[in-house]
Amino acid sequence: MYPEVALQDSVPSEAQPGGRAAWLARPGRVGRFLLSNRKATLGFVILGIFIVMAIFAPMIAPYDPNATAFLPTLPPSHDHFLGTTSQGQDIFSQLIWGARQTLLIGGIAGLAATALSVLVGVTAAYLGGLVDHILSVITDIFLVIPALPLMLVIAAYAQGGGMWVLITVIAVTGWSFGARQIRPQALSLRHRDFLESARVRGENSAYIIVFEILPNMISLIVAIFLGAALYAVLAAAGLQFIGLGNADEISWGTMLYWGENNEALLSGSPLWIMAPGACIALLGASVALINYAVDELGNPALRTARRQRGRRAAG
Amino acid sequence: MPSAEIAVPRAAAPLLEARGLTKHFRVGGIFSRHTLHAVDQVDLAIHPREIVAIVGESGSGKSTVARLLAGVYRPTAGEIFHHGRALSQMRSRRAMLAYRGRVQMVFQDPYSSLNPVYPAARGIFRALKLHRKDLGRDARRQEVLRILESVGLTPSREFIRKYPHELSGGQRQRYGFAQALASRPETILADEPVSMLDVSIRLGVLNVMAELRRQEDVSFLYITHDIASARYIADRILVMYAGQVAESGLVEDVLAGPKHPYTQLLLSAVPDPRAELDVTAADKGEPPRVIDPGEGCRFRWRCPYRIEICDRVTPALSPVGPGQMAACHVAAGVAVGESSATAAPPASGR
Amino acid sequence: MAGEPRVEGSSVAHEATVLEVRHLGVEYLTGDAPVRAVDDVSLILRRGEFLGLVGESGCGKSTLCFAIARLLGDNAEITDGEILFSGKNLVHLREKQLRHLRWRELSVVMQSAMNALNPVMTVGAQLADAMRAHDKLPAREVRKRGSAVLELVGIDPIHLNSYPHQLSGGMRQRAMIAMALVFIPDLIIMDEPTSALDVVAQRSLMVQVKELQRELGFAVIFVTHDISLIARFSDRLAIMYAGEIVEMGGTRQVFEDPKHPYSRGLLGAFPSIRGPKEVLKGIPGSPPDLRHPPSGCRFHPRCQYVMDICPTAPPPAYTPRGNDLVRCYLYAGRGTPETDMEEAEDRERHALR
Repeated sequence: MYPEVALQDSVPSEAQPGGRAAWLARPGRVGRFLLSNRKATLGFVILGIFIVMAIFAPMIAPYDPNATAFLPTLPPSHDHFLGTTSQGQDIFSQLIWGARQTLLIGGIAGLAATALSVLVGVTAAYLGGLVDHILSVITDIFLVIPALPLMLVIAAYAQGGGMWVLITVIAVTGWSFGARQIRPQALSLRHRDFLESARVRGENSAYIIVFEILPNMISLIVAIFLGAALYAVLAAAGLQFIGLGNADEISWGTMLYWGENNEALLSGSPLWIMAPGACIALLGASVALINYAVDELGNPALRTARRQRGRRAAG
Repeated sequence: MPSAEIAVPRAAAPLLEARGLTKHFRVGGIFSRHTLHAVDQVDLAIHPREIVAIVGESGSGKSTVARLLAGVYRPTAGEIFHHGRALSQMRSRRAMLAYRGRVQMVFQDPYSSLNPVYPAARGIFRALKLHRKDLGRDARRQEVLRILESVGLTPSREFIRKYPHELSGGQRQRYGFAQALASRPETILADEPVSMLDVSIRLGVLNVMAELRRQEDVSFLYITHDIASARYIADRILVMYAGQVAESGLVEDVLAGPKHPYTQLLLSAVPDPRAELDVTAADKGEPPRVIDPGEGCRFRWRCPYRIEICDRVTPALSPVGPGQMAACHVAAGVAVGESSATAAPPASGR
Repeated sequence: MAGEPRVEGSSVAHEATVLEVRHLGVEYLTGDAPVRAVDDVSLILRRGEFLGLVGESGCGKSTLCFAIARLLGDNAEITDGEILFSGKNLVHLREKQLRHLRWRELSVVMQSAMNALNPVMTVGAQLADAMRAHDKLPAREVRKRGSAVLELVGIDPIHLNSYPHQLSGGMRQRAMIAMALVFIPDLIIMDEPTSALDVVAQRSLMVQVKELQRELGFAVIFVTHDISLIARFSDRLAIMYAGEIVEMGGTRQVFEDPKHPYSRGLLGAFPSIRGPKEVLKGIPGSPPDLRHPPSGCRFHPRCQYVMDICPTAPPPAYTPRGNDLVRCYLYAGRGTPETDMEEAEDRERHALR
């Protein structure tokens, strides 16, 4: 009676404009893609190493990083892989323990900045009109304000507070870039019929934003988070290097600060500076690599065409 | 003036009725003073077990009418009545939800009407959760399966799991109908449901609509630019031009004897390869002016019968035949001249 | 002169062949296995002839057009066959030689003028661009020709200075056609030029194209999914399904007596606005996924006349009426299969020289 649709018709012939979020529906494919992508694999490996370092610091680090129990300015040796500081602390232990604060700041500040970006960007796009105008002006203002002087001012005003001050400063100066990217994508989604379909179905605005719009923006949000985390790591290191962080806490940035203050490069323990510097660079690189891979996932146009093996010779 | 669209008496009162429905948009930025007249003074009524078609080109306002009836837009003027109750009086969320349960909508673009992130059937589940709270989890799942069967997506146990990217356009449209059916609506507003489907698939979906009317007692408002498909399933037809109703009546009457010059133009342009066409390509199909249009008939720029009054006075819908109305000074004049008994003289513009 | 030309069968004045496609195959290189988007397509187009190429989405009609114009992207390639145009085999020509041909002798009108026209250049500037890319003309000549070609398509030449967004959809499409006409080529390929237009604008454009064709004598391949639109205007009709031409012949013949079951289904899928109202069925199922095409005849899963032989091997092209072509086993034995058809084509070609 009703026109029946056979199951084998399910495989469509037209190319599927599944869009950026279709991958959410196919997690297996995501995993496979990310693992097959060399950039992502490298990024994950490096990041993984640092995360393990941070989590298992008490077990990996041979000594208490704060203990000034050793002879100062020792060169690298079997007991001290990276030597000791001019206060007699083991640099290697400091490096291991420092991963914690650095990763924490990067992660939390990155999350905070991303959350702000999403809030502002989606609200502006969804509500439109005057609200959109106002939020866009605010975003532009924050974009234009030079970040470093602003950070210096805020950090100095907070009198060199610790981790949370840094996180706040970074989030406040870092959200606008992401918001500027989120708004257009949210705008493009706004006119998709499935949103109207949800409204006609009877859903309210909050539900639509959280459950209909946001899941479609995950790849962009992840990419923004990675960018924000990268920015956070570098900004935190920079601020700590200048001395605006809490110099008593151990992180790669504060290691740089103390090393610089004690002229480590000149006085025979260059690893004091080079080791945390290299780790910061590596961490940033790993985040950037993962970012590339997530970009390619969301936007197939970026994938380099790989000729498949075993192609038939042209007739 | 009562909405006297049909002379044939109908036993039941209309499910959904619009009077003087108007929607204007401001265009050109925040400080501009130009308005786009998307819909102007539209009257329509949908009765139980009836399929009403709105036919028009893009820019005619037909999709906006659907969205006004669905509650997506709020009217600039005029009123919508649901079982006699005015929509503007429904302030509470509960009242609006109840309305949405009775009046549902199907969208044009099968590639954008389903959220790609979730299984296609999720919308049906959500609709049931919102409108049929009495159902428990198992009952809900059974109901979803039943609805999938009723739109021809069998075996339903397989289709309940499918994601949009695994489906063809025709199948996605059926999910759209399934979601609309979940709340057991009286009326479904179908906004060009087959325009983006392949020709050989369209009939299947149109036949689904006809079956739903027969089996589930659903009325449809079928919006399309394809007058042939309107004839295929609809009982009554409204022809829209530039935001206004140009002609309305029973489908067979209007198609056999179009009175409004725009309807005549439309019919002559339809490519019907089986019929002998007569010619003229004089009309290039220029879109109508809907930004700050002013008084006067909006079709006058393209009309071969234009007379002086057409420039000054916007024509109102007046009877031009049994159950047929047209908004045209010339057609109304002819009707008045012809008929002796009925018809009041054409009302002058507002 | 206004009026629908009712040209049946082959075209009138010039009978020389302008395009000949032989056993063309095109593949898309996707991740897993190549997709055969065009399979063993052959056709002959005479000077001034209007060929309607009809099919639904995914049938390969656009791919075929791009292949003929040698405009395929990097992810597709011509794997078999020849395209003989103006005495040369286009498949073997290099980009430099193709550029010489393009626009002068062969031009293309794209599907969506909104996307194909540059929004930041005036219409006149784009016409000038097209002209300068393919020939060296003095500025005055460029302007004159731009004006002339706009008038030809029914646009006031004042719009040489307009931007695309200032024109209506119908006018933009006409501007695209004007651009294709700039050198009055021998062949214009039009890929669904009317699908974004309303019924009245569509009709007007078709009549215009037909008039221009009669006036200027170019051949047209007109791609569309709407068979009822093209049937009034084309001389011959080719119906494509899943990458193959399943039926081809004179428009009248194909229309009034469609032989292939798909053609029959397609023609039966259009409700009429006059005549008796009847319940129509359409064609059950949907077009196949070309990554996993059905075995044998690609239409057999949806065919109501399916026989045992159909899934076994793809049917050859039969010619039940001499000039026509049907890929369907229903006509086995009623006409001459492929090899004989090639002989028949050879005979025709000789006759035309």
